[in-house]
Amino acid sequence: MLGLPTPLANFWSHPHGSGELVLWVLIALAAGFALMFAALKAPARLRFPIVATVTFVSGSFWVLFYLWPRPFNRQPGELPANTVESVGFWLQDAVRVVGDASNVLSALMLGLGIYSLLRVHGNRLIKRQRDWFFSLVLILSMITMIVFGYWDYFIRESDAELAILIDNGQSWAFPNYMRDLLFDGLLQQLDAAMFSIIAFYILSAAYRAFRVRSVEATILLSAALLVMLSLMGLVESGWNSLVDSITGGDPGHFLTNLRLTELAGWLRDTVQTSGLRAIEFGIGVGTLAIGLRIWLSLERSAVNT
Amino acid sequence: MATPQENKAPRSFGERLMSVNRTTLYGLLIAVTSIPLFFDITLPNQPTPAAIDAFVTLSQLPEGSTVLIQSDWTISTRGESAGNMEAALRILMRRGVNFAIFSVADPQAPQVARDVVARINAERRAAGQPEYERWNQWVNLGLFPNAEATLNSFGVNFAAAIRDKTDVAPIPGPDGELTFEARPVLQSPVFKNVRSIGDASAYLVITASGSINIAIERLADKVPMVGMVTGVMGPETLPYYTSGQLRGLSAGLKGVYDMEWLMEFGLNSPPDNPRVVSEKHRALGELKGFDGEINLAKGKRYYPTLHAALFLMILAVVVGNVGMFLSRKRGR
Repeated sequence: MLGLPTPLANFWSHPHGSGELVLWVLIALAAGFALMFAALKAPARLRFPIVATVTFVSGSFWVLFYLWPRPFNRQPGELPANTVESVGFWLQDAVRVVGDASNVLSALMLGLGIYSLLRVHGNRLIKRQRDWFFSLVLILSMITMIVFGYWDYFIRESDAELAILIDNGQSWAFPNYMRDLLFDGLLQQLDAAMFSIIAFYILSAAYRAFRVRSVEATILLSAALLVMLSLMGLVESGWNSLVDSITGGDPGHFLTNLRLTELAGWLRDTVQTSGLRAIEFGIGVGTLAIGLRIWLSLERSAVNT
Repeated sequence: MATPQENKAPRSFGERLMSVNRTTLYGLLIAVTSIPLFFDITLPNQPTPAAIDAFVTLSQLPEGSTVLIQSDWTISTRGESAGNMEAALRILMRRGVNFAIFSVADPQAPQVARDVVARINAERRAAGQPEYERWNQWVNLGLFPNAEATLNSFGVNFAAAIRDKTDVAPIPGPDGELTFEARPVLQSPVFKNVRSIGDASAYLVITASGSINIAIERLADKVPMVGMVTGVMGPETLPYYTSGQLRGLSAGLKGVYDMEWLMEFGLNSPPDNPRVVSEKHRALGELKGFDGEINLAKGKRYYPTLHAALFLMILAVVVGNVGMFLSRKRGR
């Protein structure tokens, strides 16, 4: 109905919310826990091979995905013509499942973060260690946000029509007001305030450290000044008008190159972009090398515990 | 015996210039960034080529087509990101382009994006225009926690990647009254003609982080992509624009003002005396702005503050350096 290619065998293709899907999710959950306990109970000498094997198999999927010939113009329900195409089809179908699994793993990391926070700050609170009061504030804030966040969420989930009204600022109840106060009124504003503080440090640092002490510093300062001035429309218009009055607005005139727009544009497109591209190439090559080392378990620090 | 205070020589003018205390600097910054907010000032502007390309790309999308919006920003960068998103949504809504919003970076981002849509809808309601209908004209896909895997899945099979996502659909009853229920988003008119990522008319990334890099790496060869990033991310993202992987780029508050300026005055419009000229787009002819609509908004409101902050920064650097030169001269 939706024009989707139907995977030949896919446990997860049952309809959203269906009993079969829930059953498979429960089986997967039980298998996951069983595997986790098995891994925890494994002898120390086996831990490295287990981690290395899981890392290699997981990485192999993406290596295969990128290097294996991809199905061309695949039609819904089409069967593979040979083994190469069969693997290509399987890889293509599995990407969604692997993507979903990655999303679940990423979401689990959020739970891990909450567990870690509770463990560290709960311990500090129970043992009345230094600054325990801040730990108490953190735990209380987190619990309050979770309670009202989920309360608001369940109200919206229970009634789709009500959810629309709430989104439009109508039919709000106590939990909706509390979520708004805590999320939009408090958390979001604190978030913005934290980010704004950077401006003070930048100004202070620029004043104290941006000194013309060498040729390199002079070049850097000149470039920074030009770029900053080009962000100020008032200065840019005045500067350009001055140059235009000298050149008579002739785009072929040599002095047109001295318009602030041209100077800043040259700096951005020629100097800055080339430099950044070189840095990003370097990062890319470095990431590839580290990726290979982790995949092949040569990077012991990443897999050794 | 003389005390340390008595031994201390009076500070020269240069030294005093070099030692403005932190409180004074911070006080000045608060003053110069706050005062312009109380005045309605329209500063002159010359949009950058990257912003012009972003405006042209968004303004030429076919009516009824679908744009995918990856919105990964939160309130910490609202000065820039909210302005960019509002400008983009105004253009899309006025041109009748459908859109789907999702996030691949921050759990707070979907709610923040929904708030922006609600704000623009309220603005339309106040202007007597029809609201942009959720489900029929826009949908919310929510959060995908893992950017790499999700965007890979989008590239391979977009429809399969989102088929479990639901949004609120209005269902007409037998008596004509609407009831609302959650339905798979693929049944929405927004995705009527979209099964692969290439079926979308554009892919817009509004972000304050490196999530745009992942989107470009995975999808730039499959769908026309436009970036709207913060000033911090601008330089890092620029190489992707100059290489052609991004069709347009609006960076920072200047980018927001550029978009608003183009929405107000158009491009190469009117042909005999245009406010914004782009030789690159001369072949397109006149690209009109949106007369009588709210165009100059957040960008216009915050641009004078950016001016003042940059001016103070330049002044601080100049004062520090003049102080250093005077002190050195005196020392010689």
